[in-house]
Amino acid sequence: MPSFSKSAEPALPRTSRDEDPVYQQHSKKLRRLLLISFSWLLALLICAGVDALLAVRRLDRASQEVSRRFTARNQALAVIIVSVRIYDDQIERFLLQDQLQDPVPDPAEVTRQIAAARAAVLSFPSDRDSDEQVLLVAMQQQLQEGESSCATVLAWRADLRRQRAYQFISQQLIPWRTRIFELSAQISALDERKLALENLTVAERFQSLESRLVWLVSLALIAGVLMSLVCGWYILRLERQARQRYQALARSRLDLESLSARLVEAQEEERRSISRELHDEVGQSLGALLVEVGQLSKLVPPEDRVTRAQIAQIKSVAETAVKSIRDIALLLRPPMLDDLGLVPALEWQAREISRRSDMEVEVHSENVSEALGDETKVTIYRLVQEALNNAATHAAAKNAKVTIAQNSNKITVRIADDGHGFDPGRQRGMGILGMEERVRRLGGILAIESAPGKGATVKAELPLRTADSPLTGHEPAMSQP
Amino acid sequence: MRKIRILLADDHKLIRGGLRLLVEQQADLTVVGEANDGRETVSLAKSLKPDVIVMDIGMPNLNGIEAALQITQANPEIAVVMLSMHSDESYVLRALKSGAKGYLLKDSAESDLIKAVHAVADGKSFFSPAVSKVLLDDYVRKLKRSGAEDAYDLLTPREREILQLVAEGKSNKDVANLLNLSVYTVETHRSNIMEKLNLRGIPELILFAVRRGIIS
Repeated sequence: MPSFSKSAEPALPRTSRDEDPVYQQHSKKLRRLLLISFSWLLALLICAGVDALLAVRRLDRASQEVSRRFTARNQALAVIIVSVRIYDDQIERFLLQDQLQDPVPDPAEVTRQIAAARAAVLSFPSDRDSDEQVLLVAMQQQLQEGESSCATVLAWRADLRRQRAYQFISQQLIPWRTRIFELSAQISALDERKLALENLTVAERFQSLESRLVWLVSLALIAGVLMSLVCGWYILRLERQARQRYQALARSRLDLESLSARLVEAQEEERRSISRELHDEVGQSLGALLVEVGQLSKLVPPEDRVTRAQIAQIKSVAETAVKSIRDIALLLRPPMLDDLGLVPALEWQAREISRRSDMEVEVHSENVSEALGDETKVTIYRLVQEALNNAATHAAAKNAKVTIAQNSNKITVRIADDGHGFDPGRQRGMGILGMEERVRRLGGILAIESAPGKGATVKAELPLRTADSPLTGHEPAMSQP
Repeated sequence: MRKIRILLADDHKLIRGGLRLLVEQQADLTVVGEANDGRETVSLAKSLKPDVIVMDIGMPNLNGIEAALQITQANPEIAVVMLSMHSDESYVLRALKSGAKGYLLKDSAESDLIKAVHAVADGKSFFSPAVSKVLLDDYVRKLKRSGAEDAYDLLTPREREILQLVAEGKSNKDVANLLNLSVYTVETHRSNIMEKLNLRGIPELILFAVRRGIIS
């Protein structure tokens, strides 16, 4: 058992909790919650962005509107002032045409100036408040007044003109002009105030947008941080689970390996004991029976053919039984391993397979010690048995060669056949698994080289263990001392 | 006439009983002892000095092969007949190497035991006919599959004669006397035989002879 990290102890209950359906459901809920939260966060961010964009656009439009209206008012005022100035100048020149040599203005032109000023008043933007409206009405009245006095003045003849010119200019025209300029100054001041006010409103709206944005972004930020924390925790948990599962898997694989090793051991032990039972009890009893039957047949006189035939029948049945018992016992646990040692047992096996099948087996051995451990002997024996059986039954091989060589620290077994081969990467039957298991159990390496049509070579290297522990403690010492 | 003294060694009492029954029906045979395992056989062989030991191969506490090796090394005059369930050449060869003179299958013990005991007591070898058959079958099958030729065909008639005499347990001197040859010539023939048949040692030579039915 390799030592696991410090978390090895609590790993098992946690693992079992992970497999708990309630826990699984909990996990599922958590995943769904995270998904929903992420969708909400995303929606929040998109909404905030769109909202901010729209608000900014609205504000921009409002501020443009404010400045447009201000410009329109300014322009109208400018038109009024310019028109009034021109009108004023033209009226003066008209009245003083006899004293000065200046060109006389066209009366229609004069009237047009005053009309332009009136039109400018009318062109004022419609969003007027009451103060502005009052001022504009006053302005309109003044302009009307000017228009009517203009009509009167223009109708004057020369003598009347000369007589009243100065008086009209100083008493009517200048005060009128002053009133117009005052009114326009008032309107202008009012407009300035209005502009400032509207700008303030825009700024306020902008500020509220700003604070809303700050709020939204903070909310998204907090939600994002929260979700990252949850995700981080979730990832850590998943990682921990994965680690635990890997450990559990590694442990269960280890358990499985040791289980299958014990299985091989138990199988070998069981075979040995059944084989011994068969050989010792049943086989020997049948052998004795044969001897007795032989004795019996000698007691029967040759004339009694019926009895003799029956005895012969009994003998033949007993012989068949002896033979099959022996075959079974040999297959289970060949006594050759104990009686003769490894190499003669392998040679026996080779001949046995040659007798039974169409495959001829050769055995070559190089300085193989007779004092090999029991486990090593059994492993090699079973390995060769399996490989030869595969070669003869599945691969239809005609020749096989078993080579077994021993050097200072290892023993190498090679079983090569000329059968039709297989793909060892894909075909791995129980037989090969069993061979691998046996070899691994002794710390050895098994390699199988084969390809369809190319025969097969099974090669095993086993470390040499001088003091192999015997498979069983109560084995009667039939092998060499 | 002196009776042939026999020691029976088998870890199964039933088998020993059956063998004893067979032996005691013969007037010239007598069972002088019974052993239950390999060690007991070795010690009884030492104390009883039987003429023939009939011994099972598979016995606890020292198997039959090891016991036979110790007995024939200490007392070469004792003839050992191996009792075995197996007719395979691995067993036969090991039995021969351990110095056994006879090899008897348990199946045929009932019919062949007396013959075997008489043969080995007489200094000859004895093998159950079934053994020779299995050995020969294996040999023939192998020759047929590998396409090799039978090495026995390479032997000259003189060599075959000498092979048989050596397999029967005769020394070079005995063979020389029997065939009216010099010991040196016999030795040359013998090494030629070993080389042609690719054999190492007398046990393999005997095995070959059994296989070809030259001796039984």
